Amino acid sequence: MTRGGILAEMPDAETSGAVAAGAAEGALAYLTEMSPDLRGGAILDSSGAVLAASEHPERWREDAAALLELADRAGEEPVEQVHIATEQGEVFALRHAGLAAVAVTDRFALASLLFFDMRSVLRDLAQGGDGRAGEVAP
Amino acid sequence: MTPPKPHRVLLDRVSGYADEAAAYMRRRRVARRPFARLYYSGGRGSDHAADSVAGGELFVAAGRLIEVAGKRGRQ
Repeated sequence: MTRGGILAEMPDAETSGAVAAGAAEGALAYLTEMSPDLRGGAILDSSGAVLAASEHPERWREDAAALLELADRAGEEPVEQVHIATEQGEVFALRHAGLAAVAVTDRFALASLLFFDMRSVLRDLAQGGDGRAGEVAP
Repeated sequence: MTPPKPHRVLLDRVSGYADEAAAYMRRRRVARRPFARLYYSGGRGSDHAADSVAGGELFVAAGRLIEVAGKRGRQ
């Protein structure tokens, strides 16, 4: 299995079409805004290409692909969520609707909230939105 | 000796709960060890210990991502 192809193993490929990079960048900014513990993150498409990253998109692509590939190898089916907590920080990865999001946070981030936000952003992006479907109007 | 005023009892009780919650959070921070958890469709999950082969690889991969993200994305 090549690194480039590992994101193709998404169990719920529901993306309505190509996600615009601008929308993905807006979605990542929104995720960062909603999650004060977030240090950085990336949103990737089903081919593993980075749609948005906080910085160093090439490194995010390689390292996110490596993480998801290892996670897939650790079980018998493609992984849907990854949560790894270390002394230096926590890593969250989520595949949803044919997209993937990876986030790095400080320690003791609220996992369920972050996964909820990541899922909501990916779902909206996949449906052609800007990732801000969960935003409450002022 | 007169009994304590009712609002004092309530305040003491709330303070007691707050103290217990704070102590719980302190213990959790101290006791929480690194972990790697994978979740699959249908809600199934699996833990991988740091000293297992898969766990060790996952921690290394996570470490690289933490390095890319840097110390703090924003202040």
